[in-house]
This record gives sequence, structure tokens and C-alpha cells, in this order.
Amino acid sequence: MQTNPHRWFGVGQSVAPRSRKAGAEAAAEAIGGREAKAVLVFASSSHDLPELLAGVRLEAGPDAEIVGATTMGELGSAGVTDGGVAVAALGGDGFTVQARVAQISRSDPRAAGAAAAEALRGLDDENQVLIVLADGLSGQPHEIVRGAYSAIGASVPLVGGFAADDRKFDKTFQFYGTEVLSGAVVGLALGSDGPIGMGVAHGWRRTEPPMIVTKSSGPHIYQLDGEPALDVLLRRNNFEGSAEEFFDRGRSLQPLGLSRRSGEDIRVIHAGDDEARSVWGTADVPQGALVWLMEGDRQALIDGAAWSCTEAMARLEGMPPLGVLAFDCGGRRAGLIEGGLEQEMQAMRTALSDAPFAGFYTHGEIARVRGALGTHHLTLVTLALA
Amino acid sequence: MPSWSSHLLTEYFTAVNAAADETAAIASAVERATEMVEAEVGAVVREGRIFGAYGFGPVVPEAQLHEVAAGQPLLEVPYVGELHAVSNPLGAETGDALIVARLSEPFDPAERQMLQGMGQVLGLALRSIRVLAAERHLRAEKERQASTAQTRQRLVESLLTIQRAISARRPLPEILDAVTGGAAELLGGATVTLVLAEGGPDRRLTVASKCGDGTTPPESLARAAMAGGAVVVRPDGAGWMIAAPVRVTGEMAGSLVAHLPGVGGQQTEQRDQLAAFAQQVSLALTDARTVEAVREAHHDPITGLPNRALFLKILNRVLASRVTLADPTSVLFIDLDRFKAVNDSLGHDAGDQLLALVARRLRGCVRASDTTARLGGDEFAALLHDSPPEAAEVVGERIVAAIKEPFRVAGREVFIGASVGIAISREAEQSSEELLHNADVAMYRAKKDGPSRVLLYQPYMHAEALDRLSLRGDLQRALREGEFRLQYQPLVRLADGDAAGVEALIRWESPTRGFVSPVDFIPIAEEFGLIVEIGQWVLETSAVQVARWRRDFPDLGLNVNVSGHQLVHPRFADNVMRALAIAGLPSSAVTLELTESVLMSEPDLGKAALHQLRGLGVQLSIDDFGTGYSSLAYLRELPVDELKIDRAFIARAELTAEDLALVRTIVELAQILGLRVVAEGIENAAQLAALRGLGCGYGQGYHLCRPVDPEAVPEQLARAQVESPVGVLDHRSTA
Repeated sequence: MQTNPHRWFGVGQSVAPRSRKAGAEAAAEAIGGREAKAVLVFASSSHDLPELLAGVRLEAGPDAEIVGATTMGELGSAGVTDGGVAVAALGGDGFTVQARVAQISRSDPRAAGAAAAEALRGLDDENQVLIVLADGLSGQPHEIVRGAYSAIGASVPLVGGFAADDRKFDKTFQFYGTEVLSGAVVGLALGSDGPIGMGVAHGWRRTEPPMIVTKSSGPHIYQLDGEPALDVLLRRNNFEGSAEEFFDRGRSLQPLGLSRRSGEDIRVIHAGDDEARSVWGTADVPQGALVWLMEGDRQALIDGAAWSCTEAMARLEGMPPLGVLAFDCGGRRAGLIEGGLEQEMQAMRTALSDAPFAGFYTHGEIARVRGALGTHHLTLVTLALA
Repeated sequence: MPSWSSHLLTEYFTAVNAAADETAAIASAVERATEMVEAEVGAVVREGRIFGAYGFGPVVPEAQLHEVAAGQPLLEVPYVGELHAVSNPLGAETGDALIVARLSEPFDPAERQMLQGMGQVLGLALRSIRVLAAERHLRAEKERQASTAQTRQRLVESLLTIQRAISARRPLPEILDAVTGGAAELLGGATVTLVLAEGGPDRRLTVASKCGDGTTPPESLARAAMAGGAVVVRPDGAGWMIAAPVRVTGEMAGSLVAHLPGVGGQQTEQRDQLAAFAQQVSLALTDARTVEAVREAHHDPITGLPNRALFLKILNRVLASRVTLADPTSVLFIDLDRFKAVNDSLGHDAGDQLLALVARRLRGCVRASDTTARLGGDEFAALLHDSPPEAAEVVGERIVAAIKEPFRVAGREVFIGASVGIAISREAEQSSEELLHNADVAMYRAKKDGPSRVLLYQPYMHAEALDRLSLRGDLQRALREGEFRLQYQPLVRLADGDAAGVEALIRWESPTRGFVSPVDFIPIAEEFGLIVEIGQWVLETSAVQVARWRRDFPDLGLNVNVSGHQLVHPRFADNVMRALAIAGLPSSAVTLELTESVLMSEPDLGKAALHQLRGLGVQLSIDDFGTGYSSLAYLRELPVDELKIDRAFIARAELTAEDLALVRTIVELAQILGLRVVAEGIENAAQLAALRGLGCGYGQGYHLCRPVDPEAVPEQLARAQVESPVGVLDHRSTA
């Protein structure tokens, strides 16, 4: 381990049951005795979160920016954990960081995105990226990301994820310093004199025939092709029973792909209502959109993970990666149960040439490198630093 | 167009048209378009300004965006680089455009085509929002008038109560208390005081009645109203004081004063109301049995003219008192043209002002001994004594000329007109109502011939009015006796000249009337509720017929016109499906044509039935498309498959640039939405060529094929396949 590197990146994980210990343990591993500029914390909402952050602060020192979010599982070089914590830390003269936080207003979710993007103000590093960690249950993730994009424009890429709460879909938390917030957007602006690379890939494919969303409102889908949406999903899955039974089973998460220029923009449907025969996920499904049910076999998903990492690495101008932040969709886990997760981690390790990585399973991923669209689902988004 | 782009258009279309205002529509359009083509930045240039700039961050390169709108294909964005830009016009005439720009690669032709469509959709949406906003404004104005009308109604009721008290000779203090109480109630809790001048040299003022516990008004205000003989309005702290003069047999007797605390704004309405109550006081104070009191009860308050009841009384008296039939009495029925427009646009007060001015001019057109009256609304009447037809016509012309002169109302020049019907009493036994009715009939007939006409009643006009009633009976018989028949006009696919379908057209050969045009009998059938039965007959008959022809021409479709009255019939969808089932015609072969005006006047009309039918495979066509405004709104809401461009845009010997631009827009809109376009009224080869050039898919018209009897249809269909007037296939035509 270098002693006084110009730029450094480290990761740590812990499954310690006591929250303060878990936070301190993972942070200590990630920081490794260096002076951290930023510490990113991804932890299960089952932890005593203020305690956990107190543990992190203990190791990070008073000046490090701490940001983070609760998860649907944590991931890192050491593997996938549930109910644990994963930490990434970075520092050195080559990095500049600045953090901002904003509460999401129901009537104007964009404002929060724009306010979090203020973190970039004053940064003049050659390479910049805005890392966004936001509440995953606001119902308007696209608007938050559009807000951030409208404030910063196309000159700076966006990356990040929407917080989750294991699989409770009840309340998610965001971390800013040692504060535990909900309904918030945290922005961490990262400047570097070294290259920054990003990768996005999913590994799902369309199941024909496509359907038109004939009635929807926000993330709620009421009708597909004029038929109650729940009925359609149950029929296409040859499933008889209630919505609860359906979404509680292994195949519970239903990825829908919206037709887009370069493939699909994916939405995850995770719940349904037997009375209204409607289904919903966490992001808008516009009425009038053409959607496909998406399916993915294990190998395709694992290939997607490898591709995302490879793509991010390829943008590092030939430099070896210091490490990678990974935002993996909680929905992908559904397709990777029973050993698939370990395979995915192994594929990432290989693709990253064993560079350290840490991240979490999200309620939605944020990645904008080209184009204007920055919100994704069922993807693996990677941010590689060199 | 690659599939992903057409998929996105519906989504884009829905989002843009869901916007409530122009800003939201622009923001929605720019963001959707930018995201959909994976561009980095977007903006709208409109009326020389930049709107909805997206993806630029804090600094928007406005000058460069204007250059892109002017045709520059590259856009330099600071810290991002040089982007491939494309400008998509929002409409044909202006320089307004939707701009998007992308870093990675130039836009391919399919993307450009989609973006052009997006620009046009946004342009249409923005125009539609403007129209809707104007409509909303109008509606708000109407609602305001309705509430004014309600207040007026309460005022009238309150005044009637007082009038009854007066005529029942209730004690004077009780009547005066009823006046102040009624006024206080109507003015929403104001304190209303009646002060009366006593006799004697100094005419001291005393309070005769008071309702409410506010302060007694200053004497000076009451005196000001009495001295000026007019209502005086004066601000008082946070509220207003209003004083209305009270006269007794023409002499100033006192003042009715209201104190309205904490009321803002103009006090026009309250002032008028108080003045009305003040009049009641005058009435009560004057002997209710005097002629003056009768006058008030029988005169129109706005114009001061006798009202309908008094006019008829006077007319009765005149008719009864005639010595010989040699001195005829003429009644003129005068109806204002365009009064409603003035009332709607300038407001009720202006309307009243105009009516008063009209009354004054009318009085100036007749002798002092003649009577003029306001019958109600914008209808007036004049009664001319000893006036032969010729003299009455001269007076009528004089009235028309006088009303034609501009009026100055609410600070502006207003132009209206009048139509005059004249009836002359010839028979001894003629009643006043009958005479007035005849004048009305003549006026109705005059109006039908055009504005500003004078027409003398003739018995045939009465017959004409009756005719509408008898037409109803004849229509019922026609249905019963099977006098209707159908003709069919092919819808021709312009690309190859094949008949894609036929439109069923109803014909009525009445044994008593001869050939009656649908233009004449359909409105009557609608008015009398016969249209549902007639429409069903057309559908059933044509469905059987087309099902038969389809044995030889299996792809033949049927277009049937549907009236709005059919649409709202609760069993409409059932009736349609039953007719098709009986005929054995698949629902997908049938297209129902609805006129744009029906869809516009009642947007929710029969929507459920249409969706139900669409769900069963029946297709929907918008007839006369382009003649209405809010086209986009219902295209979004209704499951439309086909647009028929109104013949008005096509049936000219030479199509103008505007016609072509409009047709092009409709064709492109239809392509975006995946709809068929049928051009109606193609009458010559030039029109046909122009329409094919624009990519219009289908056409109808005399040049292609006239409507023919069913016997001749198979021959026409067969001939169309062999030799077509469409001629050589044009490579630009699309099916």
C-alpha cells in the first residue's frame, strides 16, 4: 500500500452486527491509515444508522466528506452482503471533493436534483463527475436526475444510485456527514486530475410481443394493451394467484423495457394490487409508451456486469484503475439468485483486473455520459477512477 | 422510420399534449426530444427568443441557437464541444423551431424525420394551448355573467316582493323597511339608510328607514345624490358609500344610501342595484295606482321602452279601436344582428348600454305617436298607426340604416345590424299575438336571406315555417315506407387507383317533395330525434351490401357517417355491432365517420362507446378534418384511425400555398400518428397530382368517381382495378 499517493482509492466491508463497529471496521479497511477526502457509505437500513456513521466518522476524521445511502444489499471486492456495510474512500492531492444535500419536495423534485448539483460549484479540476445518491421511493426519480442535469448541463457526467431499504419498500435513508436523512438527495462532486470512466450495461432481452401502456400515472401502470396490467403480467408468467404471491416468489421482479434509440430503458415492477389490478415500480412509466417484458438468463446478466466494468475501464485512457464504485440494480439480484451473485462479483473482479470496488444494490441507477437521459433500471453502473 | 422512433412518438405526443401551459409544453417537448434521440442539449426558438433550454447548464449560448434555427448545422457548447444540431420548424410560416444537438454523431434521416414531426406536434400543441386559453378566458367571462345573472334574478325577486307590498297597499313604513332590508340583503350585509327630505323651506333630511347597524351616512352624500339626480359613489375608509336619489312624481324627495365596509373593486353592480331599490322607494311613495307606477311595471328597465306585455296591450287597444279596415296597422319585428357577439366580447354592461342606444335610435325612426318596445333579448318591435305596407317598409329600411351606423359603447366603436319583418293587419279579427307572430316569421325569413334585410310577411312564409313540421312527418313516413336509398362513393388509394372502400351516402326521393338533399333533411332529423333510426338503417343496409361485394372484392371497406345524436344513444355500440353481425361484415372492415364539429362541441360525447367499438375492431374517422381548432386534443383522447381532409381545403380549381401547407401538415401529422388520410372533394387532375405529391394516401371526389347506385358499384370497383384515373404510380405516394 502506498504511503502518500497523489490519488488513492480503497474499499472495506463489514458484517459486524453492532452498527458502530461495522461502520468503523469497514471505514478503517477502506481508508487504511491515509487521510480521506471522501468516504462513501452503503449500508443496510437494518443498522442503527447514526451509530454506524459515528463509527465511520471516528475513522475518517473530522474533515472528510461522508455521503451514502441505504441498500438492497452491499457489494464489494469481498463479495455481496445483506444487512452489512460497504465503504469506499478516496483521497490525495489529485482529488477534490465537495458535497451538498437537499430535501425532495413532492411538488418540485427537480429542485432537489438541481440543489444537490450545486456541489460542483467552484470545482475547476480537469475531470469532474457528480455522484448522486437519492431517496428511492419518491416516485419521481427521473425528475430528480433531470433537475441535476438541467443545472449542470452536458459538460459533467452524472453517476449514482437510488437508496433502497432491503426489500421493504417503506423508507430509505441518505447520509450526509453523520446526518441520517430520508427524502433527500446527496450530491458529491468529485474532481480529479486523472481520468474518470463510466460504464452502463444490463444484459436483459426483450420478450415479444411488446405492449402499449394504455393507462398509467407516475410509476403506476393500470393497463397494458387496454387490459388490467396485473392480469397481463400474471398471464404472461403463467401464474395463478394473488399479486402478493406473485411478487413474493423468486420471479417477483418484472423488468419492463421501454423502447429507446439504443436499446431499452428498463423499469422494475415490484408490486401489484389485486383490487385495482394495477402494478407499480419506483419510476415513471409514461402512458403511450411501448414496453417489452424483459428476461435475462444468468449468463447474460453476468456478461452485462463484465461489459459495464470493461466499458468504464476503457475510458481511463490506458491507465490502470485505482478502483471502482458500482451501482447495481436490486432487480438484477432476482435473476442471479443461488450462486449467481458470486459469479457476478467474480466477473467484475476479473474485468477490473482485481482493482478494488464497492457499491450497493439500488432502487435505480444514475448514469449520464452522453445524451440527456440519466436514470436507469436493472443496470450495473460503474465509475472507474484512475 | 425505425421502429424505436415511432414507438417514442406516441409517448412524446402524450407528454407534450398533457402540458397545461406553453412553458410546460415546451419544457416537456425539449426534454423528451433530447432524451429520445440521445442528444445532450435542446431548446425552442420562438418569436425570436429562446425557451426551455436544456442541458446547457448555467450558460445558454443564445446567439448560436439562433444561428442553428437559421440553418447552421453545428452548435458549439462550452465545455462540451461542437454538437451536431438540427432545427425543426414548429410551423410553416414562422422561424420558430425545436432544436436538439448531439455530440456523438449526426442525426440520420429517420431521426430528422421524427424530429420534424416532434417540432410540428409541439407547434400544434402550442397553438392548441393558445386557443384553449382563449376559450377558457371566454368561459370564465360567461361564468361571471351567469353569476351576474343570478344576482339580477335575486334583485328581481326582491323587487317583486316589494312591488306586491306596494300594490297590496301595505303601510308605507313597512314597505320602506322592506326596501332597505331587501337592499341590505342583496348588497351582502351593507347598512342601508333611507333619508327623506321634509317639506318646508330648508328641506331637512330625516331617516325614514334603516337596516343594519353601521353608521348613519353623512348628509352631504345624500344631498349630493339629490342635487345631481344621479347615483354617487364615494370611497369610505376601507369600503364604499353609495347614494341613489329618490324621486316622487318626478320631484327629488330623498336618497337611499348604502354603506359597504371592506369591499374592494368597482361598485358598478351595487350602484345599479341600489338605484333599482331607490326606484322602488319612489314607487312606494308615489301612489301605486298612478299611471307612473303602471309605467314602471310595464317598461323595460334597460331601454325605458314598453315591454312585450305592454306592447301587446297597446296593440290590442289599437286593433280594437280601428274604425275601418282601410287604415292598416303595421307591426315591425326588429332583431339585432351580431348583438350576442358584442355582449359576449364586451360584457353584459356594454350589452345593456348598446340596447339603450338602439332603443333611442329606434324611437328616432318612428313618429311620436307610434310605439316602440323591447320584446326581450335583442328583439324590438314597433307599432305604426295608419301605416300602409309601403310606408312600413320605408320605416323598416330607415331602422336598418340607423342601426347599421356605428355605436360608441364601452369606449369603442361597435358595428351591429338589424333584420326587420313586417306584418300588416288586414283582417278584422286578427289578434295582436298573431300579428306579432307573423312579423316574427317574416323577420326569420329575412334573416335567412342575409343580414340587414326588410321583408313583408306573406302567407307562404307561414307555410314555410309549417313545412319544417311537416318535413318531420314526411321523414317518419320515409323511414316507414322505405323511401331512403343509398349511393356509394369509392375511397380510392392514390398510389394505385384501387378502391379501398366505399362511403355510404343517404339519398331521399320523396314522392311529394322530390329529391331532398341530406343537407336539408339531416338537421331536421337530428332536431326531431329521427337520426338514430335513420343512421341505423344506413348502417344495416350498407353493411349487408358491402358484405355481398366483399365476395368479389375481399378487402373492400365501408365508411358510414355517424351523427353526434347517434353517438350519445346508450345502445349505440350495441346497435353497430348487431348490424355488422347480421350482415356478416367483420368489424375491421367498417370505419365510422364523425365530423370534427361534433367531436369539438362535445368532447366527451360518446367517448366510451367509441373506445368500446374501437376495442371490437371498428375504425374511426374524423370527417371535415381541419375545420376545427382543438384537433390535437381529441386525437389524443380518441382512438382515431383516419382523417378526412375537408373539401374546403381541396376543392378549389387551384390549390393555394396555404391550402397545400395545411394539407401537408395534416398528412404529416397523420403519418406521425400512423393514421390514414383521405382527401375529400378531388375534382380535377391538378388537385389529384398535388395531393399525391404531398403523400396523401387516399382520395374521394368527382374526378375519381362520383357516388353511384349500388348496382353500378361492382362495375366501378372492377374498372378501378384495370384503368385508374390516378394514372402512373408516383414514387412519392404512400399508401
